[in-house]
Amino acid sequence: MNKIIACIDGSALAKAVCETAIWASNRLSNGILFLHTIEKQQQHGADDLTGSIGLGARSALLNKMAELDEQRGKIEIQLGNDMLDAAVNRANSAGLTDIEHKQQHGDFVDTLVALEADARLMVVGRSGDGHQGDFKALGYHIETLIRQVHTSIIIAPKDFTEPTNFMLAYDGRETADKVVQRIIQGGLLKGLTCHLVTIKNSEDAHKEKFEQAKELLKQEGFKVISSYIEGDISSSLMNYKKEHDIQLVAMGAFSHSKVRSFFLGSNTMRMIENCRVPLIVLR
Amino acid sequence: MIFSSTKQDWFGNVRGDILAGIVVALALIPEAIAFSIIAGVDPKVGLYASFCIATIVAFTGGRPGMISAATGAMALLMVTLVKEHGLEYLLAVTLLTGLIQVFAGYIKLGSLMRFVSRSVVTGFVNALAILIFIAQLPELTNVTWHVYAMTVGGLGVIYLFPYIPVIGKKIPSPLVCIVVLTVLSQVMGLDIRTVGDMGELPDALPIFLWPDVPLTLETLWIILPYAIGLSVVGLLESMMTATIVDDLTDTKSDRNRECKAQGLANIGAGLMGGMAGCAMIGQSIINIKSGGQGRLSSLAAGVFLLIMVVFLGDWLKQIPMAALVAVMIMVAIGTFSWSSIKDIKSHPLSTNIVMIATVITVVGTHNLAIGVFVGVLLSALFFANKISRFMVVKNTKVGKKAPTYQVTGQIFFASANKFIDAFDFKDVTSKVTIDLSHAHFWDISAVGALDKVVIKFRREGADVNIIGMSEATATVIDKFAIHNDPAAVEKMMAGH
Repeated sequence: MNKIIACIDGSALAKAVCETAIWASNRLSNGILFLHTIEKQQQHGADDLTGSIGLGARSALLNKMAELDEQRGKIEIQLGNDMLDAAVNRANSAGLTDIEHKQQHGDFVDTLVALEADARLMVVGRSGDGHQGDFKALGYHIETLIRQVHTSIIIAPKDFTEPTNFMLAYDGRETADKVVQRIIQGGLLKGLTCHLVTIKNSEDAHKEKFEQAKELLKQEGFKVISSYIEGDISSSLMNYKKEHDIQLVAMGAFSHSKVRSFFLGSNTMRMIENCRVPLIVLR
Repeated sequence: MIFSSTKQDWFGNVRGDILAGIVVALALIPEAIAFSIIAGVDPKVGLYASFCIATIVAFTGGRPGMISAATGAMALLMVTLVKEHGLEYLLAVTLLTGLIQVFAGYIKLGSLMRFVSRSVVTGFVNALAILIFIAQLPELTNVTWHVYAMTVGGLGVIYLFPYIPVIGKKIPSPLVCIVVLTVLSQVMGLDIRTVGDMGELPDALPIFLWPDVPLTLETLWIILPYAIGLSVVGLLESMMTATIVDDLTDTKSDRNRECKAQGLANIGAGLMGGMAGCAMIGQSIINIKSGGQGRLSSLAAGVFLLIMVVFLGDWLKQIPMAALVAVMIMVAIGTFSWSSIKDIKSHPLSTNIVMIATVITVVGTHNLAIGVFVGVLLSALFFANKISRFMVVKNTKVGKKAPTYQVTGQIFFASANKFIDAFDFKDVTSKVTIDLSHAHFWDISAVGALDKVVIKFRREGADVNIIGMSEATATVIDKFAIHNDPAAVEKMMAGH
């Protein structure tokens, strides 16, 4: 529980990921681990549609595929090293000293799950190098990652600016109370203005808990601006975010199973998809 | 979970998977027809089976990119059943096979594959290739020279067409072979056997039907032996193919899930009027070679197969059997492990015996399960024999002192007699020391042998002092918990 793992790849987001991690490292005074994973390529460039197999077809194919993988692997290792070096240099010049880097073969999510025991926070870009230039796109790993990892994750957009305020959507559920607790204990967001937002629905119990949460945050020294809005959850939050120039969004993880989200959609995913500022999923 | 799969599994490689699926579907049609003919049923039974199995395994399989369908290994086991009891019993057997395989998946039989050594796998693959080739011979006996000419010509097209620039690599050459030979036989009006002569082809989508057999114990006794044989062969070939695909794609498969998937696929095939099938080595290689790696490739193969068969049925009837024979000979050649013949010179004799015994047993019995059983048994015996040689009893007697026997190595059923023979009972002495601290006693035979040695010495009037007994016998205990703990294993095997 002592490192900030920053996941670097060849995408244009690598710089923002790096800067976000440096910011977090300064605030939490934890070391940074820059991580680059080399994932197996699905497409093998085998375009032999002859459908015939001759003498020694299996070993010939194995050799050919191994060769392709070897070439690709070597290039990827070199590229990854360059990227990691750049990231380490950036962190060095930002004055950090506790910097590590690591290259790992294998699935991105699996690798992070394996490194989790040592992680205080993870920083990932919202999309990988497969989505070059398309900043609306969300990496297909993100949902799996949030579901499988139990560490807080910052999802970084293209550009990073140091946040001075953050928005917390509070729905009165147990998960929301936990998020409040994490914000108080965590220290990452200390000193930032907290916009505590609740989307109103008829139950009054929310109002009470909402006030409680507000008081709690105030006691801990947060400057709290609270709002109680009516309307559709995700669009109201988005509007609020725009109006108040929110620079960071804090939220809890999925409160429902994958199956339910598949049919009904999930507010968590909707927030992540539409968010143009750094978003932190708190655990 | 049996249906869980990631987006990546399905849509990681859409273009490659669909193209490969089409190529595989084209290659599946002649095989499904040929294997139906081997089993003695209408071609539609094999074609429906191939569709069902490929489609179901696409969703449930534990090895994305592997192709399953009606196979020759399975068809060979059905011949007598179909002859004696007919198609309905075959469908019932298929259903039961599926149930057994699902059960095998739940009790995790997939992990038993570790007992199947590399030489057994090579033997299996070679035997399979030989069986596929032998199955083509009836089509090549008592026929006119036209058939031979067409088969040779077909093989020529299959192997030479890919060398044609540009189009050579874009159009599957087995398809070219089939089309060319069909057109040729039509134009020349040759009177040779065609697919249409071999039985009924599908003219509609498969429908759900319960096998029309009496649900009695008697039926069960008829179908059970076949179902067990088919389950074993199906799982074996599937697991071996999975290993091959694992190697090719450098990824891992979930074997127990694959067992269940094969079972579900066979249940589906049985209920849709198809015969039992399993994973196919040749087709899976074709799939990977054509760029297919995801689940979509298997689904595409199944769906395209059905579309082509149902809508092109009238054309399929015209295909001369010679064209199918040519395609099947290609599959046999591609499946056979030619490097294994070259390797015979460099591999140890025991390995070669295992491989060749597997091949001979399979070709003799036409049953791959028996062949694998023989192969596994032989490799176990050879291994036990080899390990039994790692046992030395050294007599460190100096001058007139009492003898001390230092035992080093593995003592178990295969080395127990050698252990007893190593002691010199003739030497008259009043005291004997046996140092077992560098030995391992693996089973009751070893303990029995030690008892015998002690009693023999006592009868000769010597007192026996045994050192290190508890370390040596620690391995007798069948507690796998100890064997699985690296620290405990290291402690137990100390001295080696």
